[in-house]
Amino acid sequence: MIPLDQQAFERAIDGAPSWLVDQRRDGLDHFEKFSMPSEREENWRYVELDFDIRDLAVPDAAGDLADGPGLIADLDAPVGSVRIVDGHVTGIEGGEPATLITTAEAAATLGAVAANHLNTGIAPDTDVFAAAHRAFSTGGAFVHVPARTLVDGPILVDIAATAAGSISFPQLTIVAEQSSEVSVLVRFHSPNGVAITVVPQVEVFGGANANVKLTTIQNWGDETQAFGHQRLVAGADTQLHFAEAGLGGRLSRLHLMVDLEGRGSNAEILGAYFGDRDQVLDYRYFMRHAGPSTSSDMFLKGAVEDQALSVFTGMIRIEEEAQKTNAFQTNRNLILSEGAAAQSVPNLEILANDVRCGHGSTVGPLDPEQRYYLTSRGLTPERADRLQVTGFFNEALSRFPESAVAARVAEAITAKYVAAVEEGRL
Amino acid sequence: MTAPALQIRDLHASVGELSILNGVDLDVPAGEVHVLMGPNGSGKSTLCHVLMGKDEYTATGSALVNGAEIMGLSVTDRARAGLFEAFQYPTVIPGVSLDQLTDEMEAAADDGEAFRARVESASDHLGMDRFRDRPVNDGLSGGEKKRSEMYQLAVANPRVAVLDEVDSGLDVDAVREVAELVEELRSPDLGVLLITHYSRILRYMKPDRIHVMVAGKIVRSGGPEVADQLEDEGYDTLRGSDQPDQDDPLLDLL
Ligand SMILES: Nc1ncnc2c1ncn2[C@@H]1O[C@H](COP(=O)(O)OP(=O)(O)OP(=O)(O)O)[C@@H](O)[C@H]1O
Ligand SMILES: [Mg+2]
Repeated sequence: MIPLDQQAFERAIDGAPSWLVDQRRDGLDHFEKFSMPSEREENWRYVELDFDIRDLAVPDAAGDLADGPGLIADLDAPVGSVRIVDGHVTGIEGGEPATLITTAEAAATLGAVAANHLNTGIAPDTDVFAAAHRAFSTGGAFVHVPARTLVDGPILVDIAATAAGSISFPQLTIVAEQSSEVSVLVRFHSPNGVAITVVPQVEVFGGANANVKLTTIQNWGDETQAFGHQRLVAGADTQLHFAEAGLGGRLSRLHLMVDLEGRGSNAEILGAYFGDRDQVLDYRYFMRHAGPSTSSDMFLKGAVEDQALSVFTGMIRIEEEAQKTNAFQTNRNLILSEGAAAQSVPNLEILANDVRCGHGSTVGPLDPEQRYYLTSRGLTPERADRLQVTGFFNEALSRFPESAVAARVAEAITAKYVAAVEEGRL
Repeated sequence: MTAPALQIRDLHASVGELSILNGVDLDVPAGEVHVLMGPNGSGKSTLCHVLMGKDEYTATGSALVNGAEIMGLSVTDRARAGLFEAFQYPTVIPGVSLDQLTDEMEAAADDGEAFRARVESASDHLGMDRFRDRPVNDGLSGGEKKRSEMYQLAVANPRVAVLDEVDSGLDVDAVREVAELVEELRSPDLGVLLITHYSRILRYMKPDRIHVMVAGKIVRSGGPEVADQLEDEGYDTLRGSDQPDQDDPLLDLL
């Protein structure tokens, strides 16, 4: 393992073109200046970090993956797939008619397509994790969908981490050119019981009139902490869909920035998360409307039980030029046991005057009226509550872009709920 | 006379300090359809909920379904004892389709094939096909909700059905449909207590008895003529009088 210093940096720039070396150097400069975030910072409220990133080290190579097939690995006919383990690409195949290659290969062969997009979505001054990613990432996958190209079926991106005490920086960049269509499934996972830190970075650039679907299943092991950054950028009339299922992790944070730059672009952002035991699921979502006639809908549903904590802060910012914009955000949380907590903080910042905006945020227990109605139909209270939980999540999952994945997420959430009941935590 | 499907004795119920039911006695024999009328706020829905076991009410007294005491049982066990409540205000179950609900009811009911057959025939009969994929009571019109309640009733196949204003908010055709459905469901195994504000529905069905509740008590019981009287005179003559109508043979028994 290599500590986060000059040596790790040298490895990250090995063979990189000069623009990428410059990018990484910029990252290293920021990394050296940053301290660990504190709960006093607005973006880090509610969650206290108990470690120093400088105590962690990057794995020399990909570790062995003992983990089974998991939630999406056996889905029908992906057109391409890639596996990234401990920050190293261990397998990559298919993808046609899109180009699916490693970040390093993209940097070396795709010229401007790589230089204009790679690492441009996440600024190294965002926080220490973004800076570290920029400085030390050994890469990941790059998906390039040429103009007017329709990719028929999902591309699977399997991102894993294995090494105890390690930190890794997996990366995914999707460039969907004008009028193209692609659907990408990302699965994050790691073994239970191993202390691992992961800092994923995902960037999506949708060209004019492109349609991009990104579905993420976060299923980290129970001692993994993840600090993800993700940016989605839309051109004119671009359709962006992002859905995340938050299942695993000891602490899983996702900092999402969506930029609706082009006129008439649209983003649908969905989420379903279930925190059990002492899990912390932390979502910081920023939706920026820059183009006129843009629309966005954020819709996240979550549940927490035992000592779990969830955080959703949702910021919608509508720039002055973004007239005729529609922007909505909904975050609903079920508190299944007394010790669990959900923070739900919607925010609006509206600089334009001709817009329609709305937000709804709720945090509360299961509805006793629903339980009454369902038990009056002969269901036991346990089945009634389970059905209520299923329905609660179904409202989000039924809108997920990949329905086969949504069905598995529904099963996984039900399994977490049932385990909580059977283990006497509810 | 056969044992009543539903037999209520001296039923009292309150919420906090507010006493809502003040000694209800009522018999609904199997095979019969009884109607319960009464002014707003008199306690009709409360009676339904107290029978079903809703936990916000403190209740005393007795209620037998097919001869078995249900007071003190859980809501689930009352349903399993054969009681069904069609709700005046059916609860929305977000994200749960009617099919999912009836699947769960089937698993709970333990009469597999017969249950399936009822689902299919009731669905056909009530034209429920286009609602079965939709979330329970979510975004349904008032009439559609009542239809869904009647569908669940037909599927559940209870021994006692209390139908709380299943005719409210329905257009004339739908009222007739509901009335006819109640008549179709009439069987020697089922007692029905139908709550309504409108004698309109009585044009299409033949209730065996009509009861009037005022201030949490049955103040009048009789044949179909009771409804006509109410239509003419309103509840005023019954309000404030705790004296049962001396001509009423059933009340003599109480
Ligand atoms: N949970 C409760 N908490 C407080 N008051 C209640 C509760 N349930 C019923 N009540 C009161 O008890 C009285 C009877 O209510 P109920 O709903 O049973 O009347 P109803 O006869 O069904 O009226 P309607 O014809 O309008 O449906 C009303 O005054 C009502 O406000
Ligand atoms: Mg009522």
